[in-house]
Amino acid sequence: MSLVTARRSWSQRIFCQILYQQRKAPCRAFATESIQDKDVVIVGGGPVGLALANALGSNPFVRESVKVALIDAGDLSKIRDWSLPPDMFSNRVSSITNTSRTFLEGIGTWAHVDDSRTSPIREMQVWDGISDARIAFDAAELPASSAAESSEMARLTENLNLQRACLRYLEGMQGIHLLQKVRVESIQREVGDNGWPLVHLSNGTTIRARLLVGADGFNSPVRSYAGISTYGWSYDTQAVVATLNHAPRGAFEKPNHTAYQRFLPTGPIAFLPLSPTVSSLVWSTRPRLAAALCKSDPAVLASMINAAFRLPDVSVRYLHDRILEADAAGKTLSRDVINDEIAFRERSHNISKYSAYASVTSALSGGIPPDDADSIPPLVSSIQAGTTASFPLKNSHAEAYLGEGAGSRTVLVGDAAHSIHPLAGQGLNLGLGDVECLSRCISQALRHGGDIGSFTALRPYASERYFANHKVMSAVDKLHKLYSSTLEPIVWARSVGIEVLNELDTVKAALMMDAGGGRSTRSRWELDFLARGVEGIATGMSAARMLRERIGHRS
Amino acid sequence: MLLRRATQRVRYLHTASVASSVNADEIAHFSRLSSLWWDEHGEFALLHRMNPTRVQYIREKLIEITREEQGEDVGRSMEQRRDVLRGLDVLDVGCGGGLLSESLARMGARTLGIDASASNIGIATAHARGDPELASAGDLVYRNAPAEELVQEPKRYDMVCSMEVLEHVDNPAGFLSTCAELVKPGGHLFLSTIARTPLSYLLTILAAEYVLRKVAIGTHTYSKFINPLELVSFFSKYSSPSPNPEVSGKPWVSRTYEHGLPTRTEAEVRGLIYVPWSGGWQLMSRGATPWGAAECNYLFWVRRPSES
Repeated sequence: MSLVTARRSWSQRIFCQILYQQRKAPCRAFATESIQDKDVVIVGGGPVGLALANALGSNPFVRESVKVALIDAGDLSKIRDWSLPPDMFSNRVSSITNTSRTFLEGIGTWAHVDDSRTSPIREMQVWDGISDARIAFDAAELPASSAAESSEMARLTENLNLQRACLRYLEGMQGIHLLQKVRVESIQREVGDNGWPLVHLSNGTTIRARLLVGADGFNSPVRSYAGISTYGWSYDTQAVVATLNHAPRGAFEKPNHTAYQRFLPTGPIAFLPLSPTVSSLVWSTRPRLAAALCKSDPAVLASMINAAFRLPDVSVRYLHDRILEADAAGKTLSRDVINDEIAFRERSHNISKYSAYASVTSALSGGIPPDDADSIPPLVSSIQAGTTASFPLKNSHAEAYLGEGAGSRTVLVGDAAHSIHPLAGQGLNLGLGDVECLSRCISQALRHGGDIGSFTALRPYASERYFANHKVMSAVDKLHKLYSSTLEPIVWARSVGIEVLNELDTVKAALMMDAGGGRSTRSRWELDFLARGVEGIATGMSAARMLRERIGHRS
Repeated sequence: MLLRRATQRVRYLHTASVASSVNADEIAHFSRLSSLWWDEHGEFALLHRMNPTRVQYIREKLIEITREEQGEDVGRSMEQRRDVLRGLDVLDVGCGGGLLSESLARMGARTLGIDASASNIGIATAHARGDPELASAGDLVYRNAPAEELVQEPKRYDMVCSMEVLEHVDNPAGFLSTCAELVKPGGHLFLSTIARTPLSYLLTILAAEYVLRKVAIGTHTYSKFINPLELVSFFSKYSSPSPNPEVSGKPWVSRTYEHGLPTRTEAEVRGLIYVPWSGGWQLMSRGATPWGAAECNYLFWVRRPSES
């Protein structure tokens, strides 16, 4: 239940200068241009858009029947040629569930992923920031059938690694037209009753799309063209990401294949393994603190990360206050000042210098590790230069995935359709689930002589994915809200919940299938199981909150 | 299913519009009407959703026959193709707005869609023109003519389809003979219609027309519905006119088994049911047919015997 996807909003990059025009406005200005016809026009070259192009191109049946174009304003050849030394990692990472990976293997994309830059996640440690109630997931506990296939729960990869794989695969693919460094200037409805979308590009060409796919991120211009509104909310939270260096795990410890997530009241902080000595951070926290942390000396951030995984909540809060005070005064704290504070806190909490919970005062130097070494991530030694960044988090779901009426022949996938809190690492996986379903739907419609842009052909996509995504989104949203609370009954209830969960192997196995497992076809009901379980806990929480409020009124 | 009603409405709209605007551009006029047939959420929503299932049946049946006659390998390679109708002459009788005809053309058939209503032909033509794939291939032609007119011409077809039409015609036996006559030896006839059962009355008339109002009242007439076994029995007696009047031709259905059902290689009845919670139509399995799966909507396939 931890793990993270961290992605930028593609649309901001792609459509910085987009011109919205009235949907039905006559397009005289474009009348003299030549119009190209394409069956599928994918707007956005993020992982989801590229995976869709891969999925369509990998199916000979589809490839022979449809002409596909993918449009991106960025220079995709830079991503195709992207390379970093083996010990340097990009800060945008995603956890790829076994289900998603099976799909990517099936369409042939995974063969182009640089495996040496990915890391298996075999174990997850999730704990409550206030009560320290802990739940541990281990891939070995997965039901026997799927454990035989993989001893990992998920695979962590840099988004660039995945995008590069998609682009390399696309190079050898016939029939997929890649239009890069080209902006979508506007989208209009063709004059006349059939009204197909006309996509006007910055290079002067116009493409008439049988089906226009919005893989263009949260601020999706395709969604605006389709007239689909979204509902949702911004969390008062920013995610800070960074690539972390640390010492390798010792000979008597488990390898660095464990993902850690601590639910602090300000938001979850996650530590995701990339290699024996490098891991990725996703720290969701209050916007002001996020900004201050990004501005501070990387050494200070490293100390703060170590403290955030180790110190009791009261001390973590105190350290946050110190950072915020300094930031408000226009100053930044030095590494020595913050380390002194942490050392003081560690002593006052009686944390032994031989405990894994000691960071600044730690006297550990390899050899036999302390008993609790596996319950928290390794000590961060430094942060890779230029990898610290932050972005806002939101929960938002489009009201429909298919355009109708004046916006017909449009479909939304990935972040254009839904944005989700990264705490469960499901964002990209939901998008890949969309791609799997949409490509299956297109292939099916072609088989039955259908018009792949029609509502009838795409209806199964919308009905299958909307509900599936909604369930995961509301479960994740509830988890976030549940863990942002410091109310005592809630802390008590969720801690009991998590401790009980840890004992119930079957429930845990079901949870694990969702947080990364699920190579088996049964993953769907297990997903339902997760959603129901979390909803159950959340209902308990709101009951506890109400109870407390009532009691509060009387006393 | 909805043909008659559509024809009536379309005809009404046609005259209204002609009366009000003298210089109306004919194509613009038809494309405005086409919103009626091609509105996927409108009166024809159920028909739109039924279309992929009908095409699925046509496709599966043709692959099955090919596999049987030309071997497993040819059948398997056909499954990997979209254009399983490539090279075939296909006639769609009562094409309406062209829902089925367009699908047939996309699957590679040289398709002729005919309809007795000039408005429907105008609508179908205008709609197909808007699709660059169909417009450029030129394999889809519409014609305003009754099937009887085509019988007078020498051309015969590899496949004749008439979907959701039979339950609206006044002389079903004559209509069936006409359709059958248009089929080449060894060619296929695909029909879909509604059985005359209490269930079909309940669903297609009472529920769909009067209660749920999904279909216009008066679309269907119960007494015109035709049971699957009546079709089987018709083709057990029907044989194509032979060039040599001395020899009487082979009947299309030469024998039937228990429940009165024909051999799978000669004719077939398959139930088609609407699944409200998924909002789609589902083709019932072959084995379900004798057990009441064809009590309401069903597909019927029959093949003209080869001349040998």
